[in-house]
Amino acid sequence: MRSSHRLALLFLLPSLIFVSLFAFYPIFESFRLSFYRSILTLPWLGQKMVGWENYTDLWTDPVAAESLRTTLFFVVTTIPLELSFGLGMALVMNEVFRGRGLLRAVILIPWAIPTVVSSQMWRFIFNDRYGLFNFLLFGGDASRYLAPLADPTLAPLAIIVAEVWKTAPFVALIVLAGLQSIPDEVYEAASIDGATSWQQFRYVTLPLLRPALLLALLFRTIDALRVFDLVYVMTQGGPADATNVLSFYGYKKIFAEGMVGYGSAIAVGVFLISLILSLVYLRILKSSRLEGIPR
Amino acid sequence: MNSLVVKAGRCHARNLCRLTALIFLCSLGHSFAAETQLRFVTWKSETAQLWDQPIADFEKQNPGVKVIREIGPQSSTQLHDLITQKLKNRDTEMDVFVMDVIWPAEFASAGWALPLDRFFALAEQKQFLDAPIQANRYRGQIFGVPLFVDAGLLYYRKDLLEKYGVPPPRTWPELVEEAKTILAQEKDPQLVGFSGQFKQYEGLVCNMMEFVLSNGGNLWNEKQLVSTLNQPRALEAVRFVRDRIIGQIAHRGVLAYEEPESLVLFTEGRAIFHRNWPYAWNVANDSQRSKIAGKIGMMPLPYFPGGKGVAALGGWQLAISRFSKKSELAWRFVAFMTGHAMQKRITLSTGRAPARAALYNDREVLDQLPQLKSLWETFKQAVPRPTTPVYVPLSNIMQRYFSSVLALPDTNIDKRAALAARDMDRVLDLVREAPAP
Repeated sequence: MRSSHRLALLFLLPSLIFVSLFAFYPIFESFRLSFYRSILTLPWLGQKMVGWENYTDLWTDPVAAESLRTTLFFVVTTIPLELSFGLGMALVMNEVFRGRGLLRAVILIPWAIPTVVSSQMWRFIFNDRYGLFNFLLFGGDASRYLAPLADPTLAPLAIIVAEVWKTAPFVALIVLAGLQSIPDEVYEAASIDGATSWQQFRYVTLPLLRPALLLALLFRTIDALRVFDLVYVMTQGGPADATNVLSFYGYKKIFAEGMVGYGSAIAVGVFLISLILSLVYLRILKSSRLEGIPR
Repeated sequence: MNSLVVKAGRCHARNLCRLTALIFLCSLGHSFAAETQLRFVTWKSETAQLWDQPIADFEKQNPGVKVIREIGPQSSTQLHDLITQKLKNRDTEMDVFVMDVIWPAEFASAGWALPLDRFFALAEQKQFLDAPIQANRYRGQIFGVPLFVDAGLLYYRKDLLEKYGVPPPRTWPELVEEAKTILAQEKDPQLVGFSGQFKQYEGLVCNMMEFVLSNGGNLWNEKQLVSTLNQPRALEAVRFVRDRIIGQIAHRGVLAYEEPESLVLFTEGRAIFHRNWPYAWNVANDSQRSKIAGKIGMMPLPYFPGGKGVAALGGWQLAISRFSKKSELAWRFVAFMTGHAMQKRITLSTGRAPARAALYNDREVLDQLPQLKSLWETFKQAVPRPTTPVYVPLSNIMQRYFSSVLALPDTNIDKRAALAARDMDRVLDLVREAPAP
């Protein structure tokens, strides 16, 4: 017994080392640095412990507040869209028809393309002179062309469109897995009881999909809170800071400005927000598992 | 079953041993080869004449030396992130790198760039244009050797100006009026009056600095280390750009433009006036890439009445990493690339403006690139962005301010400027007691 324990530990060791090296250590290091004033370009200032100063600065920083608002707006707009489109796609992919395999592959393409590439593509689509977006809206009438990426109201929406296009397939994938785990008998029973297909969807499919949807919600919320690459390629945070999401703001502080302490405080802030939200979701997920599912 | 696994495992282990030995031997052989590598980090050039051929020549002159060229992003901001990442990690692999004109103070203060004074004598420094040499100095030492010079210029459609009998504009208000006159009579919905670089990025600071300084204003006071963005002359210039240029003679799309997009608008024949760096001259006159080849003029940037024209200084330098273990060889490479003969060859083959003063009087160069003659005065007077190790944070604050007031026409400029100035002052306070490097 004991030796098998030891063996188990031995097998676990590599992943433990891996996780602590690549997950715990950086998190711990970010926490530590966030209590220091550390500016790479001014080494003679030294690394000075400043307690909560970075956090009090962050709390009163109007750029950070604006950035938080931008990020939250991004989260609350993209997620309902991704979930509804993802659900719709999953329902279609779940039906049996000719060419289903092809359709499944096509739907997953946006998810498979590296974000940097697809953001570049969206940047071209939203170009103010030769972009597809303007052509679809106004045809050849160049005098009415819009410049979405140059407009503080439209630029965040352009990023949202790109994000939804990219990640709805991911939600579809999770929901599809959920759909396939619903046994056919439940539908049979429902139709014997005379339920219409809408009623079947509303009272059978949706409740049984709850865990899958919550899981998708969890993944997407954490991911959306950390959105970075779309902004990096499409707008670099502009115009007028309208797309300056928290991760990009933190990135600029650390990597461009060398303000390691302050940037770490921003990173810790993003981490804490995601952590709290994840814990809330996990709790809901757990209780929903215990409630509904027929076993 | 079990023993089979063990056997397979042993066999596997034996193979692994062999492989390790092989790798070890290979690496031994590698280090015995009489080849010294020099790693050079730079941006991608559109022609082989820029990096490939000079490097091949250098290798021919220095047998046993192999220059590894590492290509980084074209955008200065993104290249900065890559190079500083290597320097932060004290990467000993990178020996030589290109440096944008705004980086030397930062790299010097951080202890990343090697001071070059023992290689780069004062007499030799005098052979270069003064402005880029000053930009490479930080607290009495020099950290880079200028390779190319850039300065903001005004390009215009000679054919359109002649058609309506208007002279090239001397002042910014004149430029706006002329653009309006031509736009009103051309009645072409595709045509705009002005295109420049107004996206929220470093280029925005260059463009806006030229407006502010040509009205007698400034970005910040380098002696007192306080921001001057909220002073009347600076405010006036910014207000002019917002009320008379953006959304007026320039369409709002310029708020997302960097150099390439703004230049395409001009070379497509859709802009009357265009602000850009010297490279645009060759592109706009190349009939393969431009619809307006031969129809353009180039001149120093306009000014506000009572001010004088100001061109932002840009350009690239070569610097040596302080963590390089081959600084002697690295210097040989830098000296080769920035030497008279190589500078002349690169100038002739790429059309880029050289940093060595003598080339602006060189018959052969002027025969092929007559525009250099007129660039000379502009380069001599070009104004560098103020040198400071905290340039990037200051630039980010200015980018935020300029982009906000230009993109949101209803904002209160005075209030935004006061906020930006306060933020800049806080950053400038950090360098008040900077010691010599």
